Amino acid sequence: MDLTFRNKKITGVLSILPKREITFEEEISNYNFSEAKSLKLKRAMGYNKHRVAALGQCSSDFCIAGLQYLFENNLLNKDDIDALILVTQSPDYFMPPTGNIIQGHFEMKHDMICLDINQGCAGFEIGLIEAFMLLDQEQIKKVVLLNADVLSPKVSKRDRNSNPLIGDAAAITIVEKDYNNSNIFANVRMDGTNAFALMIPAGGFRMPCSEDTSKMVEDEAGNFRSKENLVMKGDDVFNFVQREVPSMIHNLLSAAHTSIEMIDWFMFHQPNKFMLNKLADAIGVSREKMPTNIVENFGNSSGVTVPLNISYNLGDLLKKETRRVCLAGFGVGLTWSSILMDIGKLQFNEIITI
Amino acid sequence: MDEFLSRLAEILEVDSVNDKDVLEKFDCWDSLTMLSIIALVSEVYGKQLNNKEVRDAKTIGGLKSLINGK
Repeated sequence: MDLTFRNKKITGVLSILPKREITFEEEISNYNFSEAKSLKLKRAMGYNKHRVAALGQCSSDFCIAGLQYLFENNLLNKDDIDALILVTQSPDYFMPPTGNIIQGHFEMKHDMICLDINQGCAGFEIGLIEAFMLLDQEQIKKVVLLNADVLSPKVSKRDRNSNPLIGDAAAITIVEKDYNNSNIFANVRMDGTNAFALMIPAGGFRMPCSEDTSKMVEDEAGNFRSKENLVMKGDDVFNFVQREVPSMIHNLLSAAHTSIEMIDWFMFHQPNKFMLNKLADAIGVSREKMPTNIVENFGNSSGVTVPLNISYNLGDLLKKETRRVCLAGFGVGLTWSSILMDIGKLQFNEIITI
Repeated sequence: MDEFLSRLAEILEVDSVNDKDVLEKFDCWDSLTMLSIIALVSEVYGKQLNNKEVRDAKTIGGLKSLINGK
Protein backbone atom coordinates (compact mmCIF):
# COMPACT_ATOMS: atom_id res chain seq x y z
CA MET A 1 0.00 0.00 0.00
CA ASP A 2 1.60 3.23 -1.18
CA LEU A 3 0.72 6.37 0.74
CA THR A 4 1.51 10.05 0.39
CA PHE A 5 1.17 12.83 2.92
CA ARG A 6 1.55 16.57 2.63
CA ASN A 7 2.48 19.18 5.15
CA LYS A 8 3.36 17.08 8.17
CA LYS A 9 6.57 17.14 10.15
CA ILE A 10 8.35 15.67 13.14
CA THR A 11 9.29 18.39 15.62
CA GLY A 12 11.02 16.44 18.37
CA VAL A 13 12.29 12.98 19.34
CA LEU A 14 13.05 11.81 22.87
CA SER A 15 14.35 8.32 23.57
CA ILE A 16 14.04 6.84 27.06
CA LEU A 17 16.33 4.03 28.19
CA PRO A 18 16.50 1.98 31.38
CA LYS A 19 19.59 2.53 33.53
CA ARG A 20 20.42 -1.16 33.86
CA GLU A 21 23.09 -2.23 31.38
CA ILE A 22 24.19 -5.87 31.06
CA THR A 23 27.15 -7.04 29.01
CA PHE A 24 27.23 -10.16 26.87
CA GLU A 25 30.12 -11.51 28.97
CA GLU A 26 28.10 -11.29 32.19
CA GLU A 27 25.45 -13.60 30.75
CA ILE A 28 27.66 -16.07 28.84
CA SER A 29 27.35 -18.75 31.52
CA ASN A 30 23.55 -18.87 30.96
CA TYR A 31 24.01 -20.35 27.53
CA ASN A 32 24.70 -23.94 26.67
CA PHE A 33 27.74 -23.23 24.48
CA SER A 34 31.48 -22.98 24.65
CA GLU A 35 32.88 -19.54 25.26
CA ALA A 36 34.57 -19.65 21.85
CA LYS A 37 31.23 -20.22 20.11
CA SER A 38 29.51 -17.52 22.10
CA LEU A 39 32.19 -14.98 21.25
CA LYS A 40 31.96 -15.83 17.55
CA LEU A 41 28.25 -15.06 17.71
CA LYS A 42 29.02 -11.81 19.51
CA ARG A 43 31.22 -10.65 16.63
CA ALA A 44 28.81 -11.62 13.88
CA MET A 45 25.58 -10.37 15.43
CA GLY A 46 26.94 -7.29 17.21
CA TYR A 47 26.14 -8.45 20.73
CA ASN A 48 27.95 -6.37 23.27
CA LYS A 49 25.72 -4.82 25.92
CA HIS A 50 22.02 -4.23 26.23
CA ARG A 51 19.71 -2.11 28.37
CA VAL A 52 17.14 -4.00 30.36
CA ALA A 53 14.26 -2.68 32.46
CA ALA A 54 14.38 -3.07 36.22
CA LEU A 55 11.89 -5.50 37.76
CA GLY A 56 8.49 -3.84 37.70
CA GLN A 57 9.36 -1.19 35.10
CA CYS A 58 6.60 -1.28 32.50
CA SER A 59 5.88 0.47 29.20
CA SER A 60 3.79 3.22 30.82
CA ASP A 61 6.62 4.02 33.27
CA PHE A 62 8.99 4.85 30.42
CA CYS A 63 6.38 6.91 28.59
CA ILE A 64 5.34 8.80 31.73
CA ALA A 65 8.97 9.59 32.62
CA GLY A 66 9.59 10.86 29.10
CA LEU A 67 6.49 13.04 29.02
CA GLN A 68 7.34 14.37 32.48
CA TYR A 69 10.78 15.37 31.19
CA LEU A 70 9.25 17.18 28.22
CA PHE A 71 6.69 19.00 30.38
CA GLU A 72 9.31 20.07 32.95
CA ASN A 73 11.64 21.38 30.28
CA ASN A 74 8.87 23.30 28.52
CA LEU A 75 9.28 21.20 25.40
CA LEU A 76 5.64 20.12 25.37
CA ASN A 77 2.44 21.47 26.82
CA LYS A 78 0.03 18.75 27.94
CA ASP A 79 -3.04 20.73 26.88
CA ASP A 80 -1.75 20.88 23.31
CA ILE A 81 -1.88 17.12 22.88
CA ASP A 82 -4.75 16.31 20.53
CA ALA A 83 -3.87 12.66 20.01
CA LEU A 84 -1.77 10.15 21.92
CA ILE A 85 -0.74 7.07 19.98
CA LEU A 86 1.01 4.26 21.85
CA VAL A 87 2.61 1.55 19.75
CA THR A 88 3.59 -1.37 21.95
CA GLN A 89 3.62 -5.14 22.19
CA SER A 90 4.16 -5.00 25.93
CA PRO A 91 1.09 -3.22 27.31
CA ASP A 92 0.83 -2.77 31.07
CA TYR A 93 -2.48 -4.69 31.01
CA PHE A 94 -4.78 -6.38 28.49
CA MET A 95 -7.36 -3.94 29.74
CA PRO A 96 -7.50 -0.90 30.03
CA PRO A 97 -5.44 0.39 27.08
CA THR A 98 -2.07 1.65 28.30
CA GLY A 99 -2.45 4.92 26.37
CA ASN A 100 -5.49 5.75 28.49
CA ILE A 101 -3.53 5.07 31.67
CA ILE A 102 -0.87 7.55 30.55
CA GLN A 103 -3.51 10.11 29.54
CA GLY A 104 -5.16 9.70 32.96
CA HIS A 105 -1.89 9.98 34.86
CA PHE A 106 -1.37 13.50 33.54
CA GLU A 107 -5.07 14.44 33.57
CA MET A 108 -4.91 15.41 29.92
CA LYS A 109 -8.00 16.96 28.33
CA HIS A 110 -10.95 14.71 27.59
CA ASP A 111 -11.30 16.06 24.11
CA MET A 112 -8.59 13.96 22.51
CA ILE A 113 -7.91 10.62 20.82
CA CYS A 114 -5.94 7.84 22.50
CA LEU A 115 -4.98 4.83 20.46
CA ASP A 116 -2.99 1.72 21.42
CA ILE A 117 -1.51 -0.04 18.40
CA ASN A 118 -0.14 -3.58 18.60
CA GLN A 119 2.87 -3.48 16.29
CA GLY A 120 6.55 -4.15 16.89
CA CYS A 121 9.49 -3.96 14.51
CA ALA A 122 7.62 -1.71 12.06
CA GLY A 123 5.92 0.11 14.93
CA PHE A 124 7.55 3.50 14.42
CA GLU A 125 6.56 3.68 10.76
CA ILE A 126 3.01 2.42 11.46
CA GLY A 127 2.69 4.92 14.32
CA LEU A 128 3.95 7.81 12.18
CA ILE A 129 1.56 6.92 9.37
CA GLU A 130 -1.30 6.94 11.87
CA ALA A 131 -0.13 10.32 13.18
CA PHE A 132 0.01 11.76 9.65
CA MET A 133 -3.53 10.56 8.96
CA LEU A 134 -4.86 12.07 12.18
CA LEU A 135 -3.23 15.41 11.37
CA ASP A 136 -5.34 15.65 8.23
CA GLN A 137 -8.16 16.55 10.62
CA GLU A 138 -8.46 20.29 11.18
CA GLN A 139 -8.99 19.85 14.93
CA ILE A 140 -5.87 17.73 15.36
CA LYS A 141 -2.77 19.91 15.43
CA LYS A 142 -0.33 18.02 17.61
CA VAL A 143 0.11 14.25 17.88
CA VAL A 144 2.31 12.57 20.45
CA LEU A 145 3.56 9.23 19.19
CA LEU A 146 4.79 6.91 21.93
CA ASN A 147 6.71 3.76 21.07
CA ALA A 148 7.42 1.46 23.99
CA ASP A 149 8.81 -2.06 24.00
CA VAL A 150 9.72 -3.68 27.31
CA LEU A 151 9.93 -7.28 26.15
CA SER A 152 12.91 -8.50 28.20
CA PRO A 153 10.65 -10.23 30.79
CA LYS A 154 9.35 -12.39 27.94
CA VAL A 155 12.76 -13.56 26.71
CA SER A 156 14.34 -16.68 28.21
CA LYS A 157 17.70 -15.96 29.85
CA ARG A 158 18.96 -19.24 28.41
CA ASP A 159 18.11 -18.38 24.81
CA ARG A 160 21.37 -17.43 23.08
CA ASN A 161 19.47 -16.35 19.96
CA SER A 162 17.32 -13.77 21.69
CA ASN A 163 18.56 -12.88 25.16
CA PRO A 164 21.73 -10.97 24.21
CA LEU A 165 19.72 -9.08 21.60
CA ILE A 166 16.75 -7.90 23.55
CA GLY A 167 16.66 -4.31 24.67
CA ASP A 168 13.99 -2.31 26.48
CA ALA A 169 13.28 1.28 25.56
CA ALA A 170 10.63 3.85 24.72
CA ALA A 171 10.52 6.96 22.55
CA ILE A 172 8.33 10.02 22.21
CA THR A 173 7.97 11.67 18.82
CA ILE A 174 6.01 14.87 18.33
CA VAL A 175 4.30 15.14 14.97
CA GLU A 176 2.63 18.33 13.76
CA LYS A 177 1.25 20.09 10.74
CA ASP A 178 3.75 21.77 8.45
CA TYR A 179 3.12 24.66 6.06
CA ASN A 180 5.96 24.29 3.58
CA ASN A 181 4.34 22.04 0.95
CA SER A 182 6.49 19.15 2.12
CA ASN A 183 5.86 15.71 0.68
CA ILE A 184 6.12 12.45 2.56
CA PHE A 185 6.06 9.07 0.82
CA ALA A 186 5.33 5.84 2.65
CA ASN A 187 4.46 2.22 2.04
CA VAL A 188 3.10 -0.59 4.18
CA ARG A 189 3.03 -4.32 3.45
CA MET A 190 1.59 -7.21 5.40
CA ASP A 191 1.99 -10.99 5.25
CA GLY A 192 0.05 -12.87 7.87
CA THR A 193 0.82 -16.25 6.30
CA ASN A 194 4.07 -15.99 8.21
CA ALA A 195 2.52 -14.44 11.30
CA PHE A 196 4.02 -17.05 13.61
CA ALA A 197 7.65 -16.54 12.54
CA LEU A 198 8.00 -14.23 15.54
CA MET A 199 5.78 -14.95 18.50
CA ILE A 200 5.12 -15.45 22.19
CA PRO A 201 2.93 -18.60 22.16
CA ALA A 202 1.35 -18.49 25.64
CA GLY A 203 -0.14 -15.79 27.82
CA GLY A 204 -2.92 -14.57 25.55
CA PHE A 205 -6.36 -16.07 25.17
CA ARG A 206 -5.46 -18.73 22.58
CA MET A 207 -3.05 -20.44 25.00
CA PRO A 208 -3.45 -19.17 28.57
CA CYS A 209 -0.57 -19.58 31.03
CA SER A 210 -0.44 -22.88 32.86
CA GLU A 211 2.06 -25.13 34.63
CA ASP A 212 2.80 -26.69 31.27
CA THR A 213 3.46 -23.41 29.48
CA SER A 214 6.04 -22.40 32.07
CA LYS A 215 8.25 -25.48 31.53
CA MET A 216 11.65 -24.78 29.94
CA VAL A 217 12.24 -26.94 26.87
CA GLU A 218 15.43 -27.36 24.84
CA ASP A 219 15.26 -26.67 21.10
CA GLU A 220 17.36 -28.09 18.25
CA ALA A 221 20.04 -25.45 18.70
CA GLY A 222 20.48 -26.02 22.44
CA ASN A 223 18.50 -22.99 23.61
CA PHE A 224 16.03 -23.30 26.47
CA ARG A 225 12.72 -21.49 26.51
CA SER A 226 9.12 -21.97 27.63
CA LYS A 227 5.92 -21.31 25.70
CA GLU A 228 5.67 -18.02 27.57
CA ASN A 229 8.91 -16.83 25.97
CA LEU A 230 9.59 -15.05 22.71
CA VAL A 231 10.56 -17.39 19.88
CA MET A 232 11.73 -16.48 16.37
CA LYS A 233 12.40 -18.54 13.24
CA GLY A 234 15.73 -16.87 12.40
CA ASP A 235 16.06 -18.37 8.93
CA ASP A 236 12.50 -17.44 7.86
CA VAL A 237 12.89 -13.91 9.16
CA PHE A 238 16.29 -13.47 7.47
CA ASN A 239 14.91 -14.71 4.15
CA PHE A 240 11.84 -12.48 4.48
CA VAL A 241 13.98 -9.39 5.05
CA GLN A 242 16.30 -10.16 2.12
CA ARG A 243 13.39 -10.96 -0.15
CA GLU A 244 11.01 -8.12 0.66
CA VAL A 245 12.80 -5.10 2.09
CA PRO A 246 15.07 -4.17 -0.85
CA SER A 247 12.13 -4.08 -3.28
CA MET A 248 10.03 -2.10 -0.78
CA ILE A 249 12.78 0.54 -0.54
CA HIS A 250 13.25 0.68 -4.31
CA ASN A 251 9.47 1.08 -4.77
CA LEU A 252 9.42 3.89 -2.23
CA LEU A 253 12.26 5.77 -3.91
CA SER A 254 10.67 5.30 -7.32
CA ALA A 255 7.29 6.59 -6.07
CA ALA A 256 9.14 9.65 -4.80
CA HIS A 257 10.97 10.03 -8.13
CA THR A 258 14.29 9.90 -6.38
CA SER A 259 17.26 7.56 -5.94
CA ILE A 260 19.55 6.14 -3.27
CA GLU A 261 22.19 8.81 -3.89
CA MET A 262 19.68 11.57 -2.99
CA ILE A 263 18.96 10.10 0.43
CA ASP A 264 21.18 11.25 3.27
CA TRP A 265 20.40 8.62 5.87
CA PHE A 266 18.80 5.20 6.02
CA MET A 267 17.52 4.91 9.57
CA PHE A 268 16.33 1.34 9.80
CA HIS A 269 14.97 -0.94 12.50
CA GLN A 270 17.92 -2.70 14.15
CA PRO A 271 17.42 -6.46 14.47
CA ASN A 272 21.15 -7.35 14.56
CA LYS A 273 24.34 -6.37 12.74
CA PHE A 274 24.44 -9.47 10.56
CA MET A 275 21.01 -8.90 9.06
CA LEU A 276 21.52 -5.15 8.62
CA ASN A 277 24.86 -5.49 6.84
CA LYS A 278 23.41 -8.09 4.46
CA LEU A 279 20.40 -5.86 3.90
CA ALA A 280 22.52 -2.78 3.15
CA ASP A 281 24.39 -4.81 0.53
CA ALA A 282 21.18 -6.18 -0.97
CA ILE A 283 19.65 -2.71 -1.30
CA GLY A 284 22.88 -1.16 -2.55
CA VAL A 285 23.29 1.36 0.27
CA SER A 286 26.73 2.16 1.61
CA ARG A 287 27.19 1.14 5.22
CA GLU A 288 28.15 4.72 6.12
CA LYS A 289 24.61 5.89 5.36
CA MET A 290 22.94 3.11 7.33
CA PRO A 291 23.88 3.00 11.03
CA THR A 292 23.94 -0.50 12.54
CA ASN A 293 25.20 0.31 16.03
CA ILE A 294 22.05 0.25 18.14
CA VAL A 295 22.08 -3.45 19.03
CA GLU A 296 25.68 -3.43 20.23
CA ASN A 297 25.03 -0.46 22.50
CA PHE A 298 21.47 -0.87 23.69
CA GLY A 299 19.97 -4.07 22.30
CA ASN A 300 17.04 -4.53 19.95
CA SER A 301 14.03 -2.71 21.39
CA SER A 302 11.74 -3.62 18.51
CA GLY A 303 9.86 -0.58 17.15
CA VAL A 304 11.83 1.81 19.35
CA THR A 305 15.13 1.11 17.58
CA VAL A 306 14.28 3.59 14.83
CA PRO A 307 13.70 6.70 17.00
CA LEU A 308 16.61 5.57 19.21
CA ASN A 309 18.74 5.29 16.07
CA ILE A 310 17.74 8.89 15.22
CA SER A 311 18.44 10.22 18.74
CA TYR A 312 21.72 8.39 19.16
CA ASN A 313 23.29 8.84 15.73
CA LEU A 314 21.78 12.10 14.50
CA GLY A 315 21.23 13.88 17.82
CA ASP A 316 22.73 17.31 17.33
CA LEU A 317 22.73 17.24 13.53
CA LEU A 318 18.94 17.09 13.25
CA LYS A 319 18.48 19.87 15.78
CA LYS A 320 20.53 22.26 13.66
CA GLU A 321 19.93 21.05 10.11
CA THR A 322 17.53 19.12 7.88
CA ARG A 323 18.24 15.86 6.12
CA ARG A 324 16.39 13.60 3.70
CA VAL A 325 15.80 10.37 5.62
CA CYS A 326 14.47 6.94 4.70
CA LEU A 327 12.95 5.13 7.70
CA ALA A 328 12.11 1.43 7.61
CA GLY A 329 10.80 -1.26 9.92
CA PHE A 330 10.33 -4.96 9.19
CA GLY A 331 9.45 -7.95 11.31
CA VAL A 332 6.65 -9.17 13.51
CA GLY A 333 3.32 -9.62 11.73
CA LEU A 334 4.95 -9.98 9.25
CA THR A 335 4.81 -6.26 8.68
CA TRP A 336 7.16 -4.11 6.67
CA SER A 337 6.95 -0.40 6.10
CA SER A 338 9.10 2.49 5.00
CA ILE A 339 8.84 6.27 4.94
CA LEU A 340 10.74 8.91 2.99
CA MET A 341 10.71 12.38 4.52
CA ASP A 342 12.82 15.35 5.49
CA ILE A 343 13.61 15.50 9.19
CA GLY A 344 15.32 18.44 10.79
CA LYS A 345 15.38 21.59 12.87
CA LEU A 346 14.07 19.45 15.71
CA GLN A 347 13.25 21.19 18.95
CA PHE A 348 14.82 18.24 20.77
CA ASN A 349 16.49 14.97 19.76
CA GLU A 350 17.96 13.28 22.81
CA ILE A 351 18.16 10.33 25.14
CA ILE A 352 17.27 10.19 28.83
CA THR A 353 17.70 7.29 31.22
CA ILE A 354 15.43 6.10 34.00
CA MET B 1 30.08 -22.50 -8.11
CA ASP B 2 33.86 -22.19 -7.41
CA GLU B 3 33.59 -18.79 -5.77
CA PHE B 4 30.63 -20.05 -3.80
CA LEU B 5 32.55 -23.11 -2.59
CA SER B 6 35.56 -21.07 -1.49
CA ARG B 7 33.34 -18.69 0.49
CA LEU B 8 31.51 -21.69 1.90
CA ALA B 9 34.86 -23.11 3.07
CA GLU B 10 35.54 -19.79 4.82
CA ILE B 11 32.23 -19.97 6.66
CA LEU B 12 32.97 -23.56 7.67
CA GLU B 13 36.46 -22.51 8.80
CA VAL B 14 38.34 -25.01 6.59
CA ASP B 15 40.72 -24.66 3.63
CA SER B 16 38.42 -26.38 1.15
CA VAL B 17 35.27 -28.51 1.00
CA ASN B 18 34.44 -31.81 -0.70
CA ASP B 19 31.10 -33.22 -1.82
CA LYS B 20 31.26 -36.05 0.76
CA ASP B 21 31.89 -33.76 3.79
CA VAL B 22 29.08 -34.12 6.33
CA LEU B 23 27.76 -30.69 7.33
CA GLU B 24 27.10 -31.30 11.00
CA LYS B 25 30.58 -32.77 11.49
CA PHE B 26 32.25 -29.41 10.91
CA ASP B 27 33.58 -28.05 14.23
CA CYS B 28 31.87 -24.73 13.87
CA TRP B 29 28.48 -26.14 12.83
CA ASP B 30 25.76 -24.18 14.65
CA SER B 31 22.79 -21.92 13.99
CA LEU B 32 25.02 -18.97 13.01
CA THR B 33 26.88 -21.14 10.49
CA MET B 34 23.57 -22.25 8.99
CA LEU B 35 22.37 -18.65 8.77
CA SER B 36 25.64 -17.61 7.14
CA ILE B 37 25.19 -20.35 4.53
CA ILE B 38 21.60 -19.25 3.90
CA ALA B 39 22.84 -15.66 3.52
CA LEU B 40 25.59 -16.75 1.11
CA VAL B 41 23.16 -18.69 -1.10
CA SER B 42 20.81 -15.71 -1.12
CA GLU B 43 23.62 -13.36 -2.12
CA VAL B 44 25.31 -15.52 -4.76
CA TYR B 45 22.30 -17.32 -6.27
CA GLY B 46 19.32 -15.19 -5.19
CA LYS B 47 17.73 -18.38 -3.85
CA GLN B 48 16.20 -18.85 -0.41
CA LEU B 49 16.95 -21.88 1.73
CA ASN B 50 15.68 -22.55 5.22
CA ASN B 51 17.27 -24.35 8.19
CA LYS B 52 15.39 -27.60 7.61
CA GLU B 53 16.44 -27.84 3.96
CA VAL B 54 20.07 -27.16 4.87
CA ARG B 55 20.02 -29.80 7.63
CA ASP B 56 18.31 -32.33 5.32
CA ALA B 57 21.00 -31.78 2.66
CA LYS B 58 23.40 -33.56 5.03
CA THR B 59 26.59 -33.10 2.93
CA ILE B 60 28.31 -30.46 0.80
CA GLY B 61 27.20 -32.45 -2.26
CA GLY B 62 23.65 -32.46 -0.95
CA LEU B 63 23.81 -28.71 -0.49
CA LYS B 64 24.98 -28.22 -4.10
CA SER B 65 22.09 -30.38 -5.40
CA LEU B 66 19.67 -28.46 -3.24
CA ILE B 67 20.82 -25.13 -4.72
CA ASN B 68 20.79 -26.43 -8.29
CA GLY B 69 17.36 -27.93 -7.82
CA LYS B 70 15.71 -24.68 -6.69
